Amino acid sequence: MTRPRADASGPAGEPAGPPRVEMTGIVKRFGDVVANDAADLALAAGEIHALVGENGAGKSTLMSVLYGLLSPDAGEIRVDGRPVTFRSPVEAVGAGMGMVHQAFRLFPSMTVAENVVYRAETRGTAGLLDRRAAVTAVQDLSERYGLKVDPRARVRTLSVGVLQRVEILKALHREAQVLILDEPTAVLTPQETRLLFDVLRGLRDAGRTVVIVTHKLGEVLELSDNVTVLRDGRTVARLVTGETTGAEIARHMTGRAVDLDGRYVPGAPAEAMLRVDGLTVGPPTGRPVVDDVSLSVRSGEIVGIAGVAGNGQVELLEAIAGLRPARSGSIRVGTVPVEALPAGRRREVGIAYIPEDRAATGSAVAASVADNLAVGFHRRSPLRRGWRLDRRAVRTHARQIIEHFDIKVSSPAVPAGTLSGGNLQKLVVGREMAHDAPVLLVDQPTRGVDIGAIENIHARLRAYRDAGHAVLLASAELSELMALSDRLLVMFGGRVVAEFARSEATEENVGLAMAGIPATASAQGAGA
Amino acid sequence: MTTPTAPPVATPAARVRGVLRSPVFLSVVGALLIGSVMLLGAGGNPIEAYAAMVEGAFGSTQWRNTLIVAVPVVGMALAVAVPLRAGVVNLGGEGQIVLGGITAAVVAATVPLPMPVSLVAALAAGALAGALLGTVPAVLENRLGVPLLVSSLLISYPVVAFASYLVRFPLRDPGTGLPQSRVFDEAYRMPVFAGVGLSALILLVVIVLVVQVDSRTPFGYEVRLTGHNRRFTEYAGVDVPRMVTRLMFTGGGIAGLVGAMVVLSVPYRYIDGALVVPGYTWTGLLAALLARAHPLGAVAAGVFFAALQVGGFGMERETEVPRELSSILQATVIVILAAAVAATARRTRKDRA
Amino acid sequence: MSVLAELVDASLIPSILRALTPILLAALGGAICAKAGVFNVGLEGFMLVGAFAAVAGSWFTGSAWVGVLAGMLAGAAMAALLAIASVRYGGDEIIVGIALNLLAVGLTAFLLRTVFGHQGTFTDPDLQGLPTILGQTPLTYLAWLLVPVLAVFLRRHVWGFRLQGVGEAPEAARSLGVDTTKYRYGAVLASGVLCGLGGAQLSLGNVVLFSHNMTAGRGWVAVVAVLLAQAAPFGVLLAALLFAAAEAFGFRLQGVGLPSQVAAATPYVLTLIALIVASLRARRALGRAPGEPPPSADRPPVANPAASSHVSLE
Repeated sequence: MTRPRADASGPAGEPAGPPRVEMTGIVKRFGDVVANDAADLALAAGEIHALVGENGAGKSTLMSVLYGLLSPDAGEIRVDGRPVTFRSPVEAVGAGMGMVHQAFRLFPSMTVAENVVYRAETRGTAGLLDRRAAVTAVQDLSERYGLKVDPRARVRTLSVGVLQRVEILKALHREAQVLILDEPTAVLTPQETRLLFDVLRGLRDAGRTVVIVTHKLGEVLELSDNVTVLRDGRTVARLVTGETTGAEIARHMTGRAVDLDGRYVPGAPAEAMLRVDGLTVGPPTGRPVVDDVSLSVRSGEIVGIAGVAGNGQVELLEAIAGLRPARSGSIRVGTVPVEALPAGRRREVGIAYIPEDRAATGSAVAASVADNLAVGFHRRSPLRRGWRLDRRAVRTHARQIIEHFDIKVSSPAVPAGTLSGGNLQKLVVGREMAHDAPVLLVDQPTRGVDIGAIENIHARLRAYRDAGHAVLLASAELSELMALSDRLLVMFGGRVVAEFARSEATEENVGLAMAGIPATASAQGAGA
Repeated sequence: MTTPTAPPVATPAARVRGVLRSPVFLSVVGALLIGSVMLLGAGGNPIEAYAAMVEGAFGSTQWRNTLIVAVPVVGMALAVAVPLRAGVVNLGGEGQIVLGGITAAVVAATVPLPMPVSLVAALAAGALAGALLGTVPAVLENRLGVPLLVSSLLISYPVVAFASYLVRFPLRDPGTGLPQSRVFDEAYRMPVFAGVGLSALILLVVIVLVVQVDSRTPFGYEVRLTGHNRRFTEYAGVDVPRMVTRLMFTGGGIAGLVGAMVVLSVPYRYIDGALVVPGYTWTGLLAALLARAHPLGAVAAGVFFAALQVGGFGMERETEVPRELSSILQATVIVILAAAVAATARRTRKDRA
Repeated sequence: MSVLAELVDASLIPSILRALTPILLAALGGAICAKAGVFNVGLEGFMLVGAFAAVAGSWFTGSAWVGVLAGMLAGAAMAALLAIASVRYGGDEIIVGIALNLLAVGLTAFLLRTVFGHQGTFTDPDLQGLPTILGQTPLTYLAWLLVPVLAVFLRRHVWGFRLQGVGEAPEAARSLGVDTTKYRYGAVLASGVLCGLGGAQLSLGNVVLFSHNMTAGRGWVAVVAVLLAQAAPFGVLLAALLFAAAEAFGFRLQGVGLPSQVAAATPYVLTLIALIVASLRARRALGRAPGEPPPSADRPPVANPAASSHVSLE
């Protein structure tokens, strides 16, 4: 078994001839927002290149430009020395680009082989699809690059790690020379990550160019040969991985020295406020998605739930909130059993919920900001007066939350959909916190919001805890959990498989538990 | 990005421009243009035809007819608009109006009651029958997952057939050869005060109630939000299935009431097809869609479409262009409107992206 | 015993086949749309306009085949309206479909009067109907043939393969460079052509006349058939067969003295019952007790990918 090592011994020196891809002076604006401001990037054949930066630094925009999803307002792209313009991903693919998006774009009911060959099929007679050729093509590719996958398996039955391999195969089937992976490890277990890294190294050694877009410094150091750092849409540094340090990259990313260990401030937990016992969720027959989960959260405590996406975290929170029927188990808020109550009554008893998707679930984007903020308050005083909903009170209520949570909006009357991602998230966070519920459920509170909003929301969550509330927080960002949680639970396959006090939790032992490996094996941390 | 944009200042000129660019205006103009093409094709003169239509709808004696037709059309527009406000399409109006009408007819034909108890009883029975029929598809969707859109439509066919059977056999007036009931007793005839029918007054009360609940109550607020995003209101703890049942009960009830009112008005008997053939249900449905479920808008759109309908007869008399042009115009408005609304929304999103 | 003999005999089969053809053709059209991710509720209107155009085409040229061609073109023209309003501009397909059904009623009535000078019904001894082979029109044979053809097309042909991808995950198809709009246009237009054929069968096959609103809900029955079969061609055939049998059987009931209203209502009642039974079974398969509300994220149990009773007013 190959042990992954921090490997910075990529091809030494500059290769002869023009770089495979050269992007210079790329500018891309969205309305008033400048996403890329004279960004540069050069990619050589046979390298793994890390494109790093904080959320909102313009990494995704730059890659979307390279993949033909966006057309730049200014700047030049050269491939093998020749200037090119990509008007669509198809043209980019034709020039040898391949992209693995963070959200996979697959057909769940089709097989792996069908997904791989879609729109690059081998045709038999009369335009009939040659499925056998598709299977063979996938087998060849997967053998050549060590991408283990069953070509005949239906995609909807596969785990996330395998889905990612399918996405890579799609690009390779189209003979991609440059393979771009957007946050490739966000959804993987440490084991799957190691497998992926082996595959990517194999591709590099076969002369392809691999770009990983990431903000995780560990990966950058472990995997890449060269690093390009973006900040505020601009290229601020180009580094050779072997000649730099994590601290230097981080300084370039943030423009200041950062404490890499997070900003955890301990809370002062009191008595248990939320108690869940033997909660099981799922169809009456078959595998439960939440399996016999017991947990408690005390007032003045943030309990984090770590886990690879899809291991029952969302279902657990929804079941506690009453949005998903539970098969068995009990849920108590304080001393009140709530498991038999519908969602609306649970809110009255004292559960607030910040959902994962602020636009699809957490708000009605076509309705006004005021209407969005009134939800949950609209059936009691002061918003309700007798049988009527007091419109003036609705506006006043909205202004209070807008002011208190610093939401940037011109008027409470504008549609919520006109807010930026960060401000819409603040709207949802503000509304749910304004309920002052003793129990707050939080799912992915800072997904896709800019760094300023992240810090703001983290501070709010700590303040909410310190006001004596119980917070149950699920997040895909281990660093977020580390920065906020007083205690950490790990979910795997619908069960809570490990629990850590904040002082015991490290990225290593939590990561192992996320992969379903018993916590006792924590001694074998990867090379420090 | 962080600088909030000021709300657009509404100068009169800007307001006019806003109206001219609004999807509703565009779609009405578009439909009239397409209608002109059809008129030319049929050998008519569009200007004359449309003028005849306006005259036929609002002329010195005509407006009264428009009002008479407007009552059931506006009523049926509300019967659709009430559930549509939450995004629920009630295609069962035909069954609901017919069941309301036949129920009122059965009460009138079999239960001798004094005025005004008689009318209250017949109208209430009709409304209740329509309401219960409207509830069935809601319950089927909530409990079994049967799509309400389709079940509400399908359930109408047996109901209409049943009413038709009743009036052809047990309720039939043996004195005439036609499929119609006997003329009702005096006690079961809707009175007319100073030229305004009681039906219109009752409808007015319904409109006021619907508008008040929609715009002033927490329930109306929840309904509107559900129309925007059903997942959101469910997440917020609203019992949406129960809301759908209530809305369908109300919508069906309004339709049943309309059926009862029409049947208890001139000529004071249930005539087979009298509630179906004039197409009140479908004209009302299109009006509700034109208003995009806004209650007062549905009233206005209902009056507009009723005027088109009645004006169509005038146009036919004057220019020999078939009155069916009216239905074509109504449906065309909705097709264009649906596209225009979506295109506008898309453009707004793109501006922001 | 004799009543039963009167209700069921060998001649019931041809009448079932006749009743089946229009529903089947329309439902196959609906199935193609469903596979492409378009919930097409305009089948009724496409069929009605097709029926009218078929009569007009046959009347003015003296050839039933020209009539069939006219029906196909007219169905496609109606479908083009759905394609433009919903696929191109993104208008809610349920709303547009309903409006097109109502447009079809008005339009055919209008044209019946302006073109033929008739109101309600048009027929004439000189109006050419479709020829029959062994008692059935060629369109009946075509409809049956189309079932396996469509099944093979969807399962084996590259275009059918891509079409299903467009319906299942349009984002994924688009990211690979498939023009989803083009495929959806194609599917919707194909459904128009098939509905036009169905309409021609109604007005030049089953009878030789056009009458006001003569489709009488068959397009909606086809919509239900698509839902029940989850758009699989052979399943669509089975569902359509069930309704056609109900229609033919309903007419027989009149023969034994039941009022004609029973006959008129039978297919719709049966359709509704089938829908309820299928929903119950689907729900049981999902392992949910009856009455337990589905989490909103779940699809309704009886569904094609695009079906939902809730429309968007945005």
